[in-house]
Amino acid sequence: MSVDGEEDAWETTESCQTLPDVQRSPHARPPWLDESAPLLMTTRAATITVLVPGMLRHYCGGAAELSTDATTMKAMLDELERQYPALHRSICDETGAVRRHVNLFVNKHHMRERNGLDTPLAGGDVVTILPAVSGG
Amino acid sequence: MAKRVLLCIGTKKGLFVAEAPAARRRFALRGPFGAGVAVYSALIDRRGTPRLYASSCNAYFGMKILRSTDLGKKFKETAAAPAFPKEDGRALANIWSLEPGADKKELWCGVEPAALFRSRDGGDSWEMVSGISNHAHARQWHPGNGGLCMHTILREGSRVHLGISTGGHYMSEDGGETFAPANSGVGAGFLPDPYVEFGQCVHKIARHPDVPGRLYMQNHGGFPEHPGVGVLRSDDHGKTWRSIAKGLPSDFGFPIVVHPHEPDTVYVLPLAPQTRSCPDAAPAVWRSENGGNSWNRLARGFPKKESYFTVLRDAMDIDELASPALYFGTTTGQLWMGRDGGEQWECLFDSLPPVNCVKVAVV
Repeated sequence: MSVDGEEDAWETTESCQTLPDVQRSPHARPPWLDESAPLLMTTRAATITVLVPGMLRHYCGGAAELSTDATTMKAMLDELERQYPALHRSICDETGAVRRHVNLFVNKHHMRERNGLDTPLAGGDVVTILPAVSGG
Repeated sequence: MAKRVLLCIGTKKGLFVAEAPAARRRFALRGPFGAGVAVYSALIDRRGTPRLYASSCNAYFGMKILRSTDLGKKFKETAAAPAFPKEDGRALANIWSLEPGADKKELWCGVEPAALFRSRDGGDSWEMVSGISNHAHARQWHPGNGGLCMHTILREGSRVHLGISTGGHYMSEDGGETFAPANSGVGAGFLPDPYVEFGQCVHKIARHPDVPGRLYMQNHGGFPEHPGVGVLRSDDHGKTWRSIAKGLPSDFGFPIVVHPHEPDTVYVLPLAPQTRSCPDAAPAVWRSENGGNSWNRLARGFPKKESYFTVLRDAMDIDELASPALYFGTTTGQLWMGRDGGEQWECLFDSLPPVNCVKVAVV
């Protein structure tokens, strides 16, 4: 599969679903798909991959991965809120704060080690959503 | 269809449903639903086809409402859970009460931090009830040990009674549009002046539908300097309250329950304030059959010593059969049933997770 051409990059699978973005280029969405339809893809070099933990996947149609062109963590969460409000509500509370026991990583780094919600995202980044470790 | 007794048991690790024929000889248990997630409130809504609701209070991913339309064989999340408006600044920490509203699909929900929500579509969407949630006192309430929770919602025509810990008793006389504190006689033993307008640590309020003006309250007692503030009664819709604790071994406790057919019969489960277990570690429910003028100890079937469980505010209920049975769940995971209005007790389940709430209905 080619990842060079914008249109060639889109391929539907059950495991990766794109978010409708606010900053995606006009050509990011395949022209044959309705604007309201959730998009599915495997790989697209220019996008950020969001890994969804198993216990939250039922809030995004079972997708294990989402992809986005958001340029910051906050923009990514805003996009989630628009497309998957129940998933967003599971990650953030009503005030928009990330829940205390949810951790968001950009690649291998917790976002608090970067710039919190203002952490920039670039093509190829992987955002991982994970419940915090707890026990005892 | 033959009547069946249905129990919703909200625990630290999810909701369990127990079901038995009306003879209540053997309960079949199913669950946990919402496995691993604490359930603090449940409702068996018998208006029309019975629906079961439970709050699923996920420490990781936030609050959800579970709903069952098949008597608790399976549950699904409702489309939405209560949530504060974004600009409000508060975030939902827990769901403490679910009660039926006036219309068939109307539900009321009390949450932590203390606020009230209403659904008009069976729990799929919620609106905040501003009259109490944005009350001038709301930002002055303080959390008790369990959090700042709205745990009691009692509707009586156009009157709505709310119990808030720690906020006190608030009442609406216009169907929930506006609320005012009504705590005359309700002591706050943890304050220098215990008789304040609001800020009491009310634990639970109960009423009988046949005697609309009368309310019973389990308040935070256990203060030697202020004996008797813990168990109270009102005969004027909650405007004034008086102690009915005389004769009890402790005025501290959490639940208070009224007999379904006898408005003068009320039950409490006194706890020693230090250990929050039954006095002398010997479990007993206490019953008054004269509206709190005197009390009798009910302990047949319980261990006689070495029991240190706590029974939380929503963890005791009574069914509506002709000879009703009481039920309570413990923080040690036991579920007890007291036949004949609490005369004879037996342990139905002894190894559940810690129990937060118990609701029973005959369906």
